[in-house]
Amino acid sequence: MSGLQIDTITKSFGATEVLKGVSLEIGAGEFVSLVGPSGCGKSTLLRIVAGLEQATAGDIRIGGRSVAGIRAADRNLSMVFQSYALYPHLSVADNIAVPLRMRQLGGWHRLPLIGGLMPGARDRRAAIRQAVAAAADTLEISALLDRKPGQLSGGQRQRVALGRALVREPAAFLLDEPLSNLDAKLRVQTRAEIAQLHRRLGTTFVYVTHDQVEAMTMSDRIAVMMDGRILQCASPDIVYNDPDDIRVAEFIGSPKINLLPAESDGAGRLSVFGHGLPLHGPAPNQVLQVGIRPERLIVGDADAPIAGHVAHLENLGSELFAQVRIAGFNHPVTLRAEPEMAPALHLGARIGLGFDPAHLLVFDAGGKRVRRLSPQAAPRRKETV
Amino acid sequence: MTRDLWKHLVLILGAIVVIAPFYTMVSYSFKSPGEIDRGEGGFFGRQETMVDERCVKLRDPNRDEVAAAAARFPGLDANAVRAEMVKEAEAACSMRPVVFNYSQAFTQAPLLRYLLNGAIVTASIFLIQVVVALPAAYALAKLRFWGREAVFGLVLFCLLIPVHAIALPLYMMLANLGLTNTYAALVIPWTISVFGIFLMRQFFMTVPDDLIDAARMDGMGEFAIVWRVMLPTAVPALLAFAIFSVVAHWNDYFWPRIVLTGNRDLFTPPLGLREFKGGADGSMFGPMMASATVIVTPLIVAFLIAQRRFIEGITLSGMK
Amino acid sequence: MTLADLPRSADTARPAATPATLQRRTAWVLTAPALILMAVILLIPVSVAVVLSFTDYSLGNAGFDWVGLANYEKLLTRSAYARMFAATFTYVLVVVPLSVGLGLGAALLINSLGRFRDVYKTIYFLPVMATLIAMAIAWEFMLHPTIGTVNRTLAAGCGTWVETAWPWLAMHCDEGMPLWLGDKRYAIWVICFVGIWQGFGFNMVLYLAGLTSVHRELYHAAEMDGVRSGWERFRLVTWPALGPTTVFVVTISCIRAFQLFDTIEAFYPIGAGPGKSAYVMMYAIFEKGVKQNLVGIGSAITVLFLVFVMMITLIQRWLVERKVHYA
Repeated sequence: MSGLQIDTITKSFGATEVLKGVSLEIGAGEFVSLVGPSGCGKSTLLRIVAGLEQATAGDIRIGGRSVAGIRAADRNLSMVFQSYALYPHLSVADNIAVPLRMRQLGGWHRLPLIGGLMPGARDRRAAIRQAVAAAADTLEISALLDRKPGQLSGGQRQRVALGRALVREPAAFLLDEPLSNLDAKLRVQTRAEIAQLHRRLGTTFVYVTHDQVEAMTMSDRIAVMMDGRILQCASPDIVYNDPDDIRVAEFIGSPKINLLPAESDGAGRLSVFGHGLPLHGPAPNQVLQVGIRPERLIVGDADAPIAGHVAHLENLGSELFAQVRIAGFNHPVTLRAEPEMAPALHLGARIGLGFDPAHLLVFDAGGKRVRRLSPQAAPRRKETV
Repeated sequence: MTRDLWKHLVLILGAIVVIAPFYTMVSYSFKSPGEIDRGEGGFFGRQETMVDERCVKLRDPNRDEVAAAAARFPGLDANAVRAEMVKEAEAACSMRPVVFNYSQAFTQAPLLRYLLNGAIVTASIFLIQVVVALPAAYALAKLRFWGREAVFGLVLFCLLIPVHAIALPLYMMLANLGLTNTYAALVIPWTISVFGIFLMRQFFMTVPDDLIDAARMDGMGEFAIVWRVMLPTAVPALLAFAIFSVVAHWNDYFWPRIVLTGNRDLFTPPLGLREFKGGADGSMFGPMMASATVIVTPLIVAFLIAQRRFIEGITLSGMK
Repeated sequence: MTLADLPRSADTARPAATPATLQRRTAWVLTAPALILMAVILLIPVSVAVVLSFTDYSLGNAGFDWVGLANYEKLLTRSAYARMFAATFTYVLVVVPLSVGLGLGAALLINSLGRFRDVYKTIYFLPVMATLIAMAIAWEFMLHPTIGTVNRTLAAGCGTWVETAWPWLAMHCDEGMPLWLGDKRYAIWVICFVGIWQGFGFNMVLYLAGLTSVHRELYHAAEMDGVRSGWERFRLVTWPALGPTTVFVVTISCIRAFQLFDTIEAFYPIGAGPGKSAYVMMYAIFEKGVKQNLVGIGSAITVLFLVFVMMITLIQRWLVERKVHYA
């Protein structure tokens, strides 16, 4: 078990720069998710850490030791692939045994027939069998050991792939979208199991996914990647409630955060839809955007300063989402409400939208988070996080 | 790059061995007999004009011709006139080796006729194969009828029988019908391509039933569906099959060798080449290689133009 | 599907104007030409061969006598046929492994290259396309004892360091270059060589197609699992993935090897090589059955030939169904 340091990694494929100087420090035993839309470079980054691809520039350190020039096979990392990449001709037991056979048996030992006659072969083989049985036990696939991958369901294959990764004790586990080929129900179940596995093993996990829910539910920290950069790396709570960048705020959370146009007047006072807020921005006369999560919006009176019509309703039973159209604004605003609110929130109903200014996330025109807001007059600044 | 170097070295060495006979064939077709004998002249030979001895001999003047020509050479006696005439003949019969080789290839044997036969035979075989196989494949893939499984089983069994292997009984049947030495004999054994049926059936299985039902709703009969709906959708598979079939039968030597015993007018190119070889003496190496080049060239050129399709077609049997 | 089911399903699924009986009749009409031709061109001749193999029939004779197993007995006892089997199996057992091995090797090499892949692929495929008899004649010229390129090249090595390093060449530098096709010791091997030359490009292309279907992530998984050498990678990932291709390639190479004929006739217009050393089965069928009109014995060889080829194909189908077919 070791930490990982990713140090200003850049990667170019021809003229296109896929990674633009990515740095990330992952502590020993930490579960870090790399999350972002497809094409953001997260899988490439994972492959560079694994050693399956070469970085154009930058350094990777595993347990403090630089692995530049060390090939993947010698980095002592385990990887679970999106397609599981099980050897189709080997049984489940043999698949799980491969990493041990390759590392613990010499070339002669691996030969069929002759291998069994080599000195020490019997003991080593027995040890491998035991390790395989233990791994299978952990993942509850002992009954499948004699089957071929072709005879397994998607979820079972996924477990075998995990088994192959955890049968030895690697410095870290790398998981490349391991759940994306599973159906929704199985994904939820396996998500919890991987998180438990991490707690039990206490090994470093680096988990790549495009699904922010997976990242939120499993990780100690989430690194949100976009366009070859890490925009923010923090705990799920911080990434959700205190994003650094408008793109992070938009990517994390479902339904998406509501973004409303805002501006600051000559005195620096913020207003949304012309409605003044008890907040002051850092500079006067700025065009800004404010974000507010659907669950932070409060249903108010129809004559509230910000009001609109309910255009669409989604009742999930445990909660209710309403899309509200505000005159003069193209995008509907999503609002989460308790199911008890259903009578008030019928289609076409005119409702007001209220919120606590403290829950507003303010972003400047470039999408960067504006944190230096003060509830009073502009000149005296106070950090409110 | 240096790691790839030895790979290129091995592959180039292999390529040289692969190319060598092609090189020899084309090179010999350019060279004079002397150059072939002495192994000189590089690839193209020196292309010095040479005298075709046989041509000169053919034009050797007899007494009447000498007498008739005497007027053209006033003041010369008969022997001198004759010498002049031989000189003329030699001048008329001298040509570049490449011209000699290729003109001999086309005049010593009816090479054009052979090529035409080859074209007729391969085209007929392919067309009949399609006409027979396509409806059967369609019925096996898309129609429900009692006995379908049995018919398909029969197809699978017949896939085991290489036609070359049963050449002897086929030959006897044709001989008893008096059909040897006919175009029919060249074509008949190949009219049924079990492989073609199998292949097209597998292809038609992938065509959605909706397409056929739509055609039926539009009022098409089953025959119309085969030729107006299935045939157009099957064009890529048919093209591959065409290449497979044409290459096999253009190059086939064994079957024509068995059923054509004397009639040179029916010879296909490979048979013609063998005939040429049988009658050739040492000086005919050049013309023989010229005919070989002419016979091999059509497919090779077609292959070079449409490599991907050819490789697809020839390896078709492996793609199932 | 039984007959009883058809009308009902037809009633619901199709307009009443096209009842199932019509479809059934159409189906038989559509398959009839193929069925008739299959019977006449494939099945009847096979039966005819089987029947005639027990007779002394000759073409032109009105009748024939049953001779029981005499023809087969001759095949198994006479030395001429022992030579036939020897030549055939030598050819098959040499050409199949080598052309498959070279095809695989070339495919692996070419597949690992970044550039010039298509150039090599095209060149190696040329012999597959070319008319074999023409190329056999070209090889004959190359192997000509005096003016052939092969012996000229070898002779150029005489008197150089190559001669000292290569005892075989030194011997021939003294005794004269080999006759190749005219020499009983070399003839069958030269024929094998031409067979390999002609066939390995085909196998290579099939293997290249097989290689594209190997999942790339498997190589990455192997690397992560600690596979360091190319050989181990080949054993763990490539070779198992090529299993189905190999079964097919071996089968088709075998069947093609059994059908060897063109090269023999091109090299040896009369007889089948020095001391009949290249007297393969197809040539024997032609010589006995067609040339000498000994239909009985020719049919017996035909039957044996069919048995060999069918056995190979059945083994292939059996392998495909049980072992190499992964999901």
